[in-house]
Amino acid sequence: MEHTKHLWRAASILLVLGAAGIITRHFLIPVSFGKNGFYRANSLDDHRSQPIAHGGSSSCKKCHEEEFKTIHEGKHASVQCEVCHGPLEAHVRGGEKWADMPVNQSHEMCAYCHQKLVARPQAVSQVRIPEHLFEKEAVAPGAEIPEGVCNECHEAHDPSQD
Amino acid sequence: MKDDGQDKGATTRRRFLKRAVAGLSGVAVVVFTRDVAWISAGAVKGEGGNRTSALKYDPTGHRYVFLMDITRCIGCGSCVRACERENNVPRDFFRTWIERYMVSSSGTALIDSPGGGRDGFEPRVTGENITKAFFVPKLCNHCTLTPCVQLCPVGASYRSPDGVILVDEKRCIGCSYCVQACPYGSRFIHPETHTASKCTMCYHRITRGLENACVQACPTGARRFGDTMKLGDEVSEIVARSAVHLLKPELRTEPNCLYMGLSKEVR
Repeated sequence: MEHTKHLWRAASILLVLGAAGIITRHFLIPVSFGKNGFYRANSLDDHRSQPIAHGGSSSCKKCHEEEFKTIHEGKHASVQCEVCHGPLEAHVRGGEKWADMPVNQSHEMCAYCHQKLVARPQAVSQVRIPEHLFEKEAVAPGAEIPEGVCNECHEAHDPSQD
Repeated sequence: MKDDGQDKGATTRRRFLKRAVAGLSGVAVVVFTRDVAWISAGAVKGEGGNRTSALKYDPTGHRYVFLMDITRCIGCGSCVRACERENNVPRDFFRTWIERYMVSSSGTALIDSPGGGRDGFEPRVTGENITKAFFVPKLCNHCTLTPCVQLCPVGASYRSPDGVILVDEKRCIGCSYCVQACPYGSRFIHPETHTASKCTMCYHRITRGLENACVQACPTGARRFGDTMKLGDEVSEIVARSAVHLLKPELRTEPNCLYMGLSKEVR
């Protein structure tokens, strides 16, 4: 038993290395890693905690019942308020109004859906913009198209095809 | 003969060291329990990984699918704009986008997607006889057997139990292997965080019972969203009864984004 101390030395080195390994691992691998698979399970909660921007038309209805009713009885029934106006979050935070809702009355906004395109299904009413505006004498050819020009004939909340 | 004071001092030091070692190992056992448990069990059974269930949402009880109807898409770009606003998608990067296909009588397909369809589409003069034309909304296909997750070297890309392909921003090292691996081009490196970014199916919304931003914004119902594990789910019914197609089925990635009215020109 002359060489026992060599064994003890080897054993203590292994012990120290093992402890170092455990300590390193502790700091390198996140708590929930590997719980569901080769990823950090708590990352799901990170994704869930992202703030919600769009509230949907039902949240607009709470304050704008009349407009909601008009839209839902008209031809734009399937169009969400936020599609034209932008997300609820830009207008209401924490249940309180904090800024005015942007109102975009540009002809580009209408053109998103109603510009005549070969690829666009015929079910959507389409016109050639700007030719339609010249035809209806809303804009002179060559002149700049003013803001809100479409709304002069078509009420955005309840459009008709005249 | 030893001095009394010396003797007493030596004993105290030894006793102190013994107690210190015992105390520290006690603390170490508590702190490193999960690491030791991992070594003995071969897997992490750590605490603190149960925050999801605390928020009353069970990801194992859902399996989500997208259903796109090409015949209904009008190419308005409402979905692209809604996605951008909901998820703060940086300008000129897209989590979802719309492609326009114009197929001529000679059989060639002219494909474009100016600005991802974010600002709508302008009429395009091709000089060819266009026989069919349509819009194709695209996004991450949330593949069941996805190449992007397989090759992530750090476990930042993963498929959640409810079938959503997500990126853990805290772990992603921005190597962009996944960006190159995605056959559908649905990933990009975020210019600010320098991590991979992509469609999350609006995970923050769907787990709260809300519709995805793009699905909610779609005025024609061209985009629909379903849960195949939900009884009487409308989308599951359609998938069960009608013809639905996949993008690049030859790759066998098993996408969870299904298409109706898909034409052979679509890639």
